[in-house]
Amino acid sequence: MSSRRSGSTSTWLVLGLGFFFLYAPILSLIIYSFNENRLVTVWSGFSIKWYGELFRDQQMMKAAWISLQLAFYTAWASVVLGTMAAMVMTRFRSFRGKTLFGGLITAPLVMPEVITGLSMLLMFIALRGLLGIELPLGMTTIWIAHVTFCMAFVAVVISSRLSELDKSLEEAAMDLGAGPVKVFFVITLPIITPALLSGWLLAFTLSLDDLVISSFVTGPSSTTLPMKVFSSVRMGVSPKINALATLLIAVVSTVGVIGWYLMARAERKRARDLQLAANQ
Amino acid sequence: MASVDADAAGSNGTMVNSAANPPAPSPDRYLVIDTVRKEFDGFVAVDDVSLTIRKGEIFALLGASGCGKSTLLRCLAGFETPTAGRIELEGQSLIGLPPYERRINMMFQSYALFPHMTVEQNIAFGLKQDGMAKAAMRARVDEMLSLVQMNRFAKRKPHQLSGGQQQRVALARSLAKSPKMLLLDEPMGALDKKLRSQMQLELVNIIEKLGVTCVMVTHDQEEAMTMAHRIAIMEQGRIRQCAKPDEIYEQPNCRYTAGFIGSVNLFEGRIDKDEKDFVTIRTSAFPDPIYVAHGVTGFEGMEVAMALRPEKLRISKHEPDLKHNKAHGSIEDIAYFGSHSVYHVRLDGGCKVMCNFVNMKRWDSESFTWNDPVWVSWGDLEGVVLSS
Ligand SMILES: Nc1ncnc2c1ncn2[C@@H]1O[C@H](COP(=O)(O)OP(=O)(O)O)[C@@H](O)[C@H]1O
Ligand SMILES: [Mg+2]
Repeated sequence: MSSRRSGSTSTWLVLGLGFFFLYAPILSLIIYSFNENRLVTVWSGFSIKWYGELFRDQQMMKAAWISLQLAFYTAWASVVLGTMAAMVMTRFRSFRGKTLFGGLITAPLVMPEVITGLSMLLMFIALRGLLGIELPLGMTTIWIAHVTFCMAFVAVVISSRLSELDKSLEEAAMDLGAGPVKVFFVITLPIITPALLSGWLLAFTLSLDDLVISSFVTGPSSTTLPMKVFSSVRMGVSPKINALATLLIAVVSTVGVIGWYLMARAERKRARDLQLAANQ
Repeated sequence: MASVDADAAGSNGTMVNSAANPPAPSPDRYLVIDTVRKEFDGFVAVDDVSLTIRKGEIFALLGASGCGKSTLLRCLAGFETPTAGRIELEGQSLIGLPPYERRINMMFQSYALFPHMTVEQNIAFGLKQDGMAKAAMRARVDEMLSLVQMNRFAKRKPHQLSGGQQQRVALARSLAKSPKMLLLDEPMGALDKKLRSQMQLELVNIIEKLGVTCVMVTHDQEEAMTMAHRIAIMEQGRIRQCAKPDEIYEQPNCRYTAGFIGSVNLFEGRIDKDEKDFVTIRTSAFPDPIYVAHGVTGFEGMEVAMALRPEKLRISKHEPDLKHNKAHGSIEDIAYFGSHSVYHVRLDGGCKVMCNFVNMKRWDSESFTWNDPVWVSWGDLEGVVLSS
């Protein structure tokens, strides 16, 4: 009896320590974002003035706007290209170099970001030098670079969904007279929509918090939010950054909770339907 | 690369052929499968299969799992392109036609109902692809729903239905376009045993009512025997026998078919005397040669097998009054099935035979028990001589 108690005590201890390490920094960050003092580490009273400061900071707001736009466009492009790659990997008959193709698509997953960033920069320079294609470093180049590595993640998410999808669904649609393109849009896409959605969100967040790759291919007028945060922290941590981080956490956890709620609701509905079917 | 070349060769062959002898579509040659072969990277899944299927027939491809029957069915549906051979429906080649241009519909083993559509939308899907007018489509969907008695469930999604109901919807969906041919892949595969026998009859009723020609694939001999007008037994990509269910059962043409359908006693031996109206076969199982009261194509000394169904054997306590075809032994095992019992008799020669006994009287099955000495015997025409 006592050994079991001490066992559970130590379990709780380990669990508590784990949670402490994970969440104490975040918690202190949130708490200090409401600190009135301009020194981050000295508590002198509750205030939301840093949130006001944050919204008045034109540069910060501009960077946030750029980042959001980038993440939005990156997510769409990655989902489109990632779905295409996933279809090729899972649906097409084997062709020469299929394995190589799959490997190349997913290579950015394991590639060090520094190398991805550097090679993207070199490519843009080469494009200008060799082919005369003028791509001014800025939003467009960051977007291209983000799509390149986000697409790999999306392709993995979607191809795992596609390979577990019953192929006879697509065959049945074809059997009933729908051509391959129609089958894709009317059968395949609607069924994998949840995977598309999670791929989209994944690409959005990956793009939103990328610092390294963006730094390589950015231009003078397009500083993203992570770059702005990083450079301003080097000047000394401002409570404004705490406020920004708190807002980001709030947004991310709200999205997470909504996603979880929707999923749980769908699951409950499915269980109910199954019950209904079984009762007949 | 190889498959592209083969396709071209296949369609060329067809063109030459149909020019030489113009197709004569007759109800007896509704679907013609001519030396169809399908290889997967050198592995032969379907090995030069030729079959002719009549209009309105329910035809079953029966074989153990992995013998290539689904692959052949998928060649008919258009999901696989045969490596070689011809497939013709009503005299017109199907080779090279994609599935969506064949007037053939298939019911999949998993039913493959579209999960994001209601029952109604599932059934209407095929009609929609044909560009049918709204009102006509609604009428047709209603007609199909009442055919399978699913009107009450029109607005349900597939996952809100039980297995049997899903099967009905799948059937309705594949019949909605009035296909020239219906393909069924393991139609009862996803149902539990009790529902199976009921659905088998119901399915046959619906198919016969519409008169649609049907090719089905199954590994369940009972299912094939119940549903099909004709059965082809497949083994390792080849057709071993193609005949009516009773012929398959009573006149198997090879050891494989005899053993695959029902249970059978097989005795290996050699032809002893080969006369015009009888043969005798010497086996190691019986002391005396087996007497068969009809001639066979063969020669003396040829290796053959004698197939005897357990229900063709009689079991008795006293020596039967017969000149041939009897042996003495003792009962080693009894399997009681209620309607009948199967006695496993160890013959004096050491060989074991199975022998059915219909339990016609309530206490009859107790008349034999373990280790009882018994005689088994059979009529001169009850055995089948197999040479392959
Ligand atoms: N797409 C494929 N690629 C390679 N081998 C296949 C393919 N489809 C079927 N086969 C092989 O062909 C053989 C016959 O398969 P199938 O027709 O599905 O058998 P069954 O009689 O059980 O329906 C099996 O050995 C299977 O492994
Ligand atoms: Mg199969």
